[in-house]
Amino acid sequence: MVLIVNEVFDDAEHESPDHPERPGRVQAAMAGVDDLHLGEDLVVAPRYSATRAELLRVHAGGYLDELGAYCYGGGGDIDQDTYATYDSWSIATLSAGAGLSVISELQRRGEGVGFVAARPPGHHALADRAMGFCLLNNVAVAAAALASQGERVAIIDWDVHHGNGTQQIFWDEPNVLYASMHQWPLFPGSGAATEIGGPRALGATINVPLPEGATGDVTWRAIDEIVAPAVEAFSPTWVLVSAGFDAHRLDPMADLCLSDADYADLAASVSRFVKGPGRLAFFLEGGYDFGALRTSVASTLSAALDAPLSTEPRSNGGPGFDQIDRVKAQRLTAIESWTREFEKEGQL
Amino acid sequence: MNQVTSIAVGFDGSVESETALRWAAGMAHESGASLTVLHASGILERLGSAFEPGVVPEAVSRIMAEEGIDSSRFRWVIEEGDACSALLQCASEPVSAQVLVVGSRGHGKRPGTMIGSVSLEVVQHAKVPVVVVPGS
Repeated sequence: MVLIVNEVFDDAEHESPDHPERPGRVQAAMAGVDDLHLGEDLVVAPRYSATRAELLRVHAGGYLDELGAYCYGGGGDIDQDTYATYDSWSIATLSAGAGLSVISELQRRGEGVGFVAARPPGHHALADRAMGFCLLNNVAVAAAALASQGERVAIIDWDVHHGNGTQQIFWDEPNVLYASMHQWPLFPGSGAATEIGGPRALGATINVPLPEGATGDVTWRAIDEIVAPAVEAFSPTWVLVSAGFDAHRLDPMADLCLSDADYADLAASVSRFVKGPGRLAFFLEGGYDFGALRTSVASTLSAALDAPLSTEPRSNGGPGFDQIDRVKAQRLTAIESWTREFEKEGQL
Repeated sequence: MNQVTSIAVGFDGSVESETALRWAAGMAHESGASLTVLHASGILERLGSAFEPGVVPEAVSRIMAEEGIDSSRFRWVIEEGDACSALLQCASEPVSAQVLVVGSRGHGKRPGTMIGSVSLEVVQHAKVPVVVVPGS
């Protein structure tokens, strides 16, 4: 099977001293791709910058104007976590465009798996605000483009942080499902099981908060018992993965304890959500330990390509296994409760 | 306006947030309201932070003492999240703040720019009155 990648390499000017979201992350992720030794089965999609019209599907025009002006004014700290430089606007639009280019290549070929090794990451970027290292919401731009073509898109987010930006953008969008598994409590503070979507898309937002220390067996159960049934009911025509690798046990930014093999399991699971060839793409989000990022990317893509790689063992035995039952119950109660509420208000 | 019984103020350790804190403490002193001093902990604080839950920063203690607010009248709270969302959340239970107080500019912001402005975001989205305290 073909792997189609798009990487943003000349992004050395989007960096800030001592900041963990740095250019070497892309090189580490691409080293994981190299470890697969794909030869001619590795295809590089053309470089492409997202247009204003493509960005406007998910971002407010005023925000795009402000962000561009801020960058070209020299940039600086946007908030306590997020920075921009003079070059950040061009790098961010290339990152958003990378997803579009990979999808376009997948559509042209009708086969393969996509990997968007671009930064800055995107899933915290709100419609009108940068945050959490993110300037433009790359996976959202891609999902919105597909939705505009009549596709039904499932976004599976396994970054250790909740993708609050993606959730907000598609909160009430019936053609895009958003499912996240993340450590909680943790930045950005959102992602409770009771956050389930707006009246037009009730139940199409799925959140599985996991406790500190949770291992692969817990994420497996979350996928199997909560995410998979919702995705199957939604019946997506495309699956996009917000593939952060900061839930790895070696990552310094959080406290989940996944191993490389767990990412392979997750990738195998989401691959089963896809109903046809050439309709699955992974988007790099977090992941700040270069070694873990490299091996996790290799594991993920090898499983998606159905060419398993020898990795460290699966993790198990951490806390949170019982929490899955509580999440299921909370989610069910929230859906029933909001259905009654929206019916009362005449929104259903 | 009803009697104010709960005020929340954002604090990030900047000079501007100290000014906002002093203003909020003065209001709490005059109204008898309780005061929640909130610090929003971003992603990077995982790599090391000047603030710890349960440990009131020296600057906060000092300003409280100078404004006549004893330790039973204020709470030091750290929430994981962005500053805007965390402060807005204070208007809901359990804090139920009737007034939100924020400095006009936090750490590292470029003067004259709107992007990343917590005060602007809070003003735009708050359902309770917001006081934006200009830096000294």
